[in-house]
Amino acid sequence: MAVERTEELILNMGPQHPSMHGVFRMVVHFDGEIVTKIEPKVGYLHRGLEKLAESRTYPQFIPYTDRLDYLASPHNNLAYVLTVEKLMGLQIPERAEYLRVIFAELARIASHLVFIASMALDIAGWTAWAYCFRDRERILDLFEMTAGSRLTVNIMRIGGLSGEPPTEFWPALKSFLDDLPEMLEEYFGIFYGNEITQARLKGIGILSKELAENLSITGPVLRASGVNYDVRKAEPYGIYDRFDFNVPVRYGCDSYDRTLLRLDEIIESAKIIRQAMRDIPEGSVMAKVSKVIKPPVGEVYHRVENPKGELGFYIVSDGSPKPARLRIRSGTFINIQMLPIVALGWKMQDLVAIFATLDAVLGEVDK
Amino acid sequence: MFGKGLFTGLGITLKRMLQPNITEFYPEEMPKLPPRTRSSMGLDPDKCISCNMCANACPNKVISLTSEKGESNKKVLKTYQMNVGRCLFCGLCTEACPTGALHVTQQFENAIYEADELKWDMIQRARKSGGKEGQA
Amino acid sequence: MDALNQLPLSIAAAIRSLFGDSHSIWADLTMDVINIILVIVLIVLAALILILLERKIAGWTSQRPGPNRLGPHGWFQTIADALKLLGKEDVTPAGADKFIFKIAPMILFALPMMTLAVIPYGKGMSPIDLDLGIVYFLAVSAVSTLSLLMAGWSSNNKYSMLGGMRAVAQMISYEIPLIFSLLGVVMITQTFSLSKIVEAQSTVPFVVLQPLAFVIYLIAGIAEVNRAPFDLVEADQEVVAGPFTEYTGLRWGLFFLGEYGNMTAVAALTATVFLGGWQGPAILPGYAWFFLKVGIIIFFQMWVRWTFPRIRIDHLMGLAWKVLLPLSILNILLTGLGIYIYDLVLRIGG
Repeated sequence: MAVERTEELILNMGPQHPSMHGVFRMVVHFDGEIVTKIEPKVGYLHRGLEKLAESRTYPQFIPYTDRLDYLASPHNNLAYVLTVEKLMGLQIPERAEYLRVIFAELARIASHLVFIASMALDIAGWTAWAYCFRDRERILDLFEMTAGSRLTVNIMRIGGLSGEPPTEFWPALKSFLDDLPEMLEEYFGIFYGNEITQARLKGIGILSKELAENLSITGPVLRASGVNYDVRKAEPYGIYDRFDFNVPVRYGCDSYDRTLLRLDEIIESAKIIRQAMRDIPEGSVMAKVSKVIKPPVGEVYHRVENPKGELGFYIVSDGSPKPARLRIRSGTFINIQMLPIVALGWKMQDLVAIFATLDAVLGEVDK
Repeated sequence: MFGKGLFTGLGITLKRMLQPNITEFYPEEMPKLPPRTRSSMGLDPDKCISCNMCANACPNKVISLTSEKGESNKKVLKTYQMNVGRCLFCGLCTEACPTGALHVTQQFENAIYEADELKWDMIQRARKSGGKEGQA
Repeated sequence: MDALNQLPLSIAAAIRSLFGDSHSIWADLTMDVINIILVIVLIVLAALILILLERKIAGWTSQRPGPNRLGPHGWFQTIADALKLLGKEDVTPAGADKFIFKIAPMILFALPMMTLAVIPYGKGMSPIDLDLGIVYFLAVSAVSTLSLLMAGWSSNNKYSMLGGMRAVAQMISYEIPLIFSLLGVVMITQTFSLSKIVEAQSTVPFVVLQPLAFVIYLIAGIAEVNRAPFDLVEADQEVVAGPFTEYTGLRWGLFFLGEYGNMTAVAALTATVFLGGWQGPAILPGYAWFFLKVGIIIFFQMWVRWTFPRIRIDHLMGLAWKVLLPLSILNILLTGLGIYIYDLVLRIGG
C-alpha cells in the first residue's frame, strides 16, 4: 500500500524567470501555493563597481554610476558628483543647480513610470505596461536631446552639467508636463482603478512601520508604511530647500499603497519641475574646475533620495586623482531584506506582486 | 459600484484600439536622432593634433593612437584605433577633444558579425565615409 | 440568397447523389469523413486567424500595428510561425513520463474536434445532430483539464506541476456555474439538442430572456479556456508557462491549436445557446451569421484579455463558488418561476 505523505515544494525562482526583475534569484519553499520560506540570492549582476572606481579618475567614474540604477541614471550621477563636490568644497552655478533638479525629477518620473509598468506586468496587465513605456519615451527623448543618450545619460559633471539643454528642450518639457495629468488618469483607469488590481494588491504584504524602520527601508516603500522620511526634506541637498512640495505618505503599509505612492510622487515631481522651470536663472552650467581633479585628503559621505530609496556614496580620498576607496549604499539592496519576512504566508502570486512593489533594479542591488 | 473600474479599463483599451499607431517602422523609416546622440564616434583626421586627451579621458582605455613628428615639429596622426567592445559610449572622449576632431555621430547600427570588427580604425572609417557619417 | 443559404446542403446532396442509393452506408461514410476533415480545417483555420487576431488586438490596444512584416498587413505571420514550429527540435525532458507527456497535447487537440462536431453551423448543418448536444459538449470540454494535468504531471518540472494543479482547482470551481447557467435555456426549450435550441430562438435570442445566465456563461467560459484574467494555468509571471513549460516544437503547437480550438468551441456554444446561432435577418446566409456571432464573442474575450490583470487563485475560486454559483442557481429559480407564470397567463388567457 502506498504511504501518503506531503512535502514542501522547493522552487528555484530565477535568475531566469519571467517575473524576476533582472537576474534576482530566490529559493522559495511552498506549501501548495503558500510561501513558507524565502532565501533571496543576489550577485548575478555583480560587476565590482566599487573596486572599478579605485582605478578610475573621479570624472571617469561618472559613466559607471549610470549602470547602478539604470532606470534613473541622472540620480546616480547626481549622488556621485554631489559627494565629490562636497569633498572638494565646490560651489556650482545656479543654473546648473536648477537643471540638476529638473533632470533628477524627470528621472524620478521616468523611473516611477517603469515601476507602474512592471508592476502592471507582474500581475499580467500587459496594456498598462505599454502605456507607461509610451509616455516614458518622451522623457527619454528629453534626455537624449540634452545629454545624447537615453538610458545611461551621463549628464552630470563634477562642477555642473555636461551641457546646456537645446532650445527645443523647454517647449517639449512643458508639453510633457501639461499632458501628464491625462496620462496619470489613463494609468488610473486601466490599472489602479481596476477591481482586479485592487483585489490583488490591497491588504497584501503588510510591511509594518516598526519593521520598515528596523530594516532601515528607505524610499517609497518606507513612506507607504506611514513614515514621513525623505532625504530631500530631511537633509536637503542641492537647492531642494527652495521648492514647495509635499512628501507623499500613505498609511496602508500594503502593496496597493506602495504602488499608489509612486503615482503621488510623480505629481509632486512635476510640481518641482514646474517651479524650477519658472525660477531658473541664466548663466553658465559649469563651474571652473581644473582639468585634473584632485580632491583634498579626507573622507565624505553624501546621500540623495533616489526613486528607489536612499542612495549614498562614501569616498575616501588620498589626495590623488583616483579615489582610494568608494562605497555605494543603494536603496533596493537594503529594501530587498523585507521580502523574506513580509512575503511569508502569502500565495505565490502575491510573492510576485510584493517583489514587484520593491521596484528592484538589479544593477543597484548587485553593484 | 463594483465593476466600474473594469468597464473604465475596457473603455480605455477600446479608445486606444481605434487610435492610430505611434510606433516607428524602423528599417524603412529611420528615426530622426538629435545631433547630440552618442551612437558612435567619428574622427576628422585633419583636425586631430594627437594631443592624447581623448585617450586620457576614456575610463576604459578604448582609444589608442600613435603619431609621428612631421614638418615644423608638429605631431601628425599615424594610427587611431578604438576598441569599441570596451566602449561605454559615455562621450567623455568627444568632450575632451580640444579641436572637435573626435565627435559623436548618429550612426547607431553598430551590430557586427566578427569580434575583430569591434576594433575600429578611425582613420580608415573617416576615409570610407568621406565625411558623410552622421547622416544615418 | 436562398441558394447561397442552402449551398452547403446542396453540395452535400450532390456528393450523396454520386452514390446510387443516397443513404447507403458508403454515402454516409463519405459524408462523415468529409465532415471530420471540415472540422479539422475549421480548427486549423480558426487557430491561424485567431493567433494573428490576438496579436493584432494586443498591438492595437497598445497603439502598435501588431505583426506587419509578412504578407499584406502581416496576415501570413502565423503561417511562418507554424512552419518555424515544425522545424524545432522535439525535446522530451529527462525523467518525464514519456507516454503521458506525448499523449497530452494530442488529447487537448482532439477535444475541440469532438465538440465542434455537434455545433449547428446553419439550418440542418450540424455535422452530428445529437439529442444530448449540450451534455455531450460539456462532458467533452471538461476533459481538457485532464490533458493539462497530464502535461503538468508528466513533464517532471515543478512549474508544470503547479500549473497542472491550478488547472484542476480552476476546473472544479468553474464547471458547475458553467453547467448551471445553461440549465435555464434547457428549461425553456425542454431539449438538450443544440439545433432545437437554435430553432427555438427564431423570434428572440435567449440572451434577452436569460441575461444573467449569459453573463455567467461568458465569465465561466473565459475561465474554461484558461484565458486572462483567469489564465492562472499558464501564468507566465508565476509558473513560467504552466504545463507547457517543457514542450517544444510541434507538441507545443498542438497545445496552441487546442487552446484556440477550445476558445472557438466555447464561443460557438455561446453563440448557439444565447445569441441565436445561425438565426438572423436574411441579408446574410445563416452560417455567416453564426460565424459573425462567434467572432464577436472571441473579440470580446481578446479585448478582456488585453485589458485586465490576472486574478488571484483564491479570488477566482471565491468568485466561482460564492458569486457565480448562487447567481446561476437564482437564475434557475427565476426561470422556473417565469415559466410557471407564463403557463398560468396562457391558461387564463386561453
